[in-house]
Amino acid sequence: MSGYIASLVSVIGINMILALSLNIITGFCGQVSLGHAAFYGIGAYTAAYLSKLGVPLALTLPAGAAMAGLIGIVVGLTSLRVRHDFLAVTTMGIGFVFLGFVRKQKWLGAELGISGIPAPGLDPLVYALLIVAIAGLIIVFCVWTKRSWMGFAFDAVADDEDAARTVGINVPVYKLTAFGIGTALAGLAGGLYVYFARIILPDTFDFVQSIAILTMVVIGGSGSVWGVVASTIALTLLPEVSRAASDYRLLIFGAMLILVMRFSPGGLAAWARRYLARRQAA
Amino acid sequence: MYFVELAVKGLVYGCMYAMMAVGLTLVYGLLRILHIAHAGVFALGAFVAVIVANTTGSLALGFVLATAVSAILGVAIYRFAYQPLLAHPPFVPMIVSIGIFIVLQEGFRMVFGAYGIAFDTNPWYVSTVELAGVRLNQVEVAMVIASIVLLVGFGLFASLTRAGIGWRATVTDPQMATSFGVDPIRVRYLNFIFGSGLAGIAGALVGLLNNYVEPTMGGLVSYKALAIIVLGGLGSVRGTLIASLILGVVESYGTIYLADVFDRDAIGFLFLIVVLMMRPQGLLGRG
Amino acid sequence: MTTLARIDDLHISFGGVAAVSGLSFAVNAGEFLAVIGPNGAGKTTALRMMAGILRPDSGRIFFDDQDVTSLPAHARVRLGLGFTHQIVRPFYSFSTIENVMLAAGHRRTESPWRALFERSRQAARDKAAAILERIGLAEQITKSPRSLPLGQRKRLEVARAIALDPRLLLLDEPLAGLSSTEAATMADLIRTLPALGITVVLVEHNLGEVLRVADRIVVLDAGKVLAEGPPAQVMARADVREAYTGVV
Repeated sequence: MSGYIASLVSVIGINMILALSLNIITGFCGQVSLGHAAFYGIGAYTAAYLSKLGVPLALTLPAGAAMAGLIGIVVGLTSLRVRHDFLAVTTMGIGFVFLGFVRKQKWLGAELGISGIPAPGLDPLVYALLIVAIAGLIIVFCVWTKRSWMGFAFDAVADDEDAARTVGINVPVYKLTAFGIGTALAGLAGGLYVYFARIILPDTFDFVQSIAILTMVVIGGSGSVWGVVASTIALTLLPEVSRAASDYRLLIFGAMLILVMRFSPGGLAAWARRYLARRQAA
Repeated sequence: MYFVELAVKGLVYGCMYAMMAVGLTLVYGLLRILHIAHAGVFALGAFVAVIVANTTGSLALGFVLATAVSAILGVAIYRFAYQPLLAHPPFVPMIVSIGIFIVLQEGFRMVFGAYGIAFDTNPWYVSTVELAGVRLNQVEVAMVIASIVLLVGFGLFASLTRAGIGWRATVTDPQMATSFGVDPIRVRYLNFIFGSGLAGIAGALVGLLNNYVEPTMGGLVSYKALAIIVLGGLGSVRGTLIASLILGVVESYGTIYLADVFDRDAIGFLFLIVVLMMRPQGLLGRG
Repeated sequence: MTTLARIDDLHISFGGVAAVSGLSFAVNAGEFLAVIGPNGAGKTTALRMMAGILRPDSGRIFFDDQDVTSLPAHARVRLGLGFTHQIVRPFYSFSTIENVMLAAGHRRTESPWRALFERSRQAARDKAAAILERIGLAEQITKSPRSLPLGQRKRLEVARAIALDPRLLLLDEPLAGLSSTEAATMADLIRTLPALGITVVLVEHNLGEVLRVADRIVVLDAGKVLAEGPPAQVMARADVREAYTGVV
């Protein structure tokens, strides 16, 4: 039983880091990214490869995050060149290029991925708590950022890039900052996943995964920290709570995307705000 | 001759991509929405074709119904998903579109099973034709012919008929078009009917080409079609057509020469990214 | 008279058509300069090149003797150049005061690293409130720009630009779309800026107000300078009136 709980908590924690990291890029800074799973994958493959060479966890995790962040900044550079609409497709493309590359590289295990990853050296429950602690720190960071002037600048960039320039905001640098931080954190999640799963397969980091992460962000409310936290917990627990939900997991994600965006594009957070405002008015 | 064969095969695929991509670029040009659910329309066409063909024995009927059902689905998506959300930033209808795509794909999987359905009789698949030393099967030929006929037909429609001109006017300048009495809603319906019908036919043809239809077939083609419309300069039909053919050929050569590094699906996107870095407006987009 | 800014032989074409060809003029510190001319003369284009929103095909732009031609717009803002758009662009997801606050706190957003550690918005809020008070928008500070009529949105645009502490403010048709009373009020408001240390360069069609408040006028025609000097002198010229035939 405690093994199951540790497992569940670990998955929630990893999903939360993924969702919060995408939230920084898409929610805070307004840059659409449909290829976020690629950075999850970059972090995972980096950590996995290094761990099999004997590098300890304390180094593989930051290495995975750094690699993902670096490549994320390069991808961010593409966002500077292309228009908004193009960005969605370009980031989708990054996801496919990553997958296509990794599936063919023998030294990364090709289609079979990397297996036999060493154990984290911690009791599963302790490891789960480590993940939760990291997720907690990231929540604090996100809330801090939102209240800071960096968050204020991000809001402006997300609202109207050109107007942001006319108030002196160096839009390119802010976009790269968002991409760098968001992708590095996704890479960190990848590293954490590696020691949890002990085996990684390329398909774990495909377009469907990118959409799953996006779903958690969008349903929580793009830009809202607590909304995203809540939706991640709910969406991760759903397949556990309901067997039917588990079989139809993807279908439910799709349906939720449709319903939420159709009727409350600001997600749970917007719905909560409206509900509270009505309560106050009454 | 291998060289030529690769080019020809590439062009054939290019025609298939074109039939998908045109529908996407039409929607984007009019509504600024990335119609990712188009993949589901494509797959639906394939499923309708295979089921009708297997039940009635008539492939022709299968094609007709595939076109009709796809067109209806496309219009329904516009009416119930996009139209109510036009006031929101394009990000919102795009996410709905992704949701619809996922629901459709999963729906197909649940109803028809993950392994798909094969055509009971597929005469076209077997019989081949030789063209300049390259062996093509009849489906591939049909694909090229169908795409040329349909796209040329659309081109003529757009330049010669009142409805077509009205459509072009609406894409270029919606307000001006409305003041000339063009009904924007009718234009949009027309858009979706044509684009979705085309995707349905493409789906049926691809089903024939592979000799079976499975739930995820829409995904890959759709992703590439998205890359194509960006390459061609979002909203430009001509650009899309050219980009489709180029992508088909690039993929064809790329799969051979980059076989050890990237798989087929990545090559198209890699090409897109490289082009965008050099020309952010796409191959043929306006700067 | 010190020269605060200068444009030198600017050229730019759009789709093969030259919008500006060999444009040069100077802006003196502390003056109120109006750039006028018939439609298509290149006035807005010139202003946008000065602001850094458009890149000229050739020519140079100087601010304070520094060549800023290749500097991006946000960098010019940091040097003290403000700009308002012809079609106003407030941040619609911000309230009125938040729009001005972001500009008022521009020093804090200079670099993301620094911005991350800046938390307090009180100083910016106070400064923004003061500016909005002076500009007559005190009642609207918590409102969304969406609910403001055009005249107030234009004032918000100007307030936001002022909050950047610019030394040079470029205004693109600030009076466009305003009623005659609103236009007069806006013109009077802008007229007070040079006294506060803000040099003003204004592109306008509304000649009535412009001729009343400007120190000096530059007349553009077909992408070049046609005439410059004090308003009365310039408007008395036959070639200027001819360029404007039918418009005045």
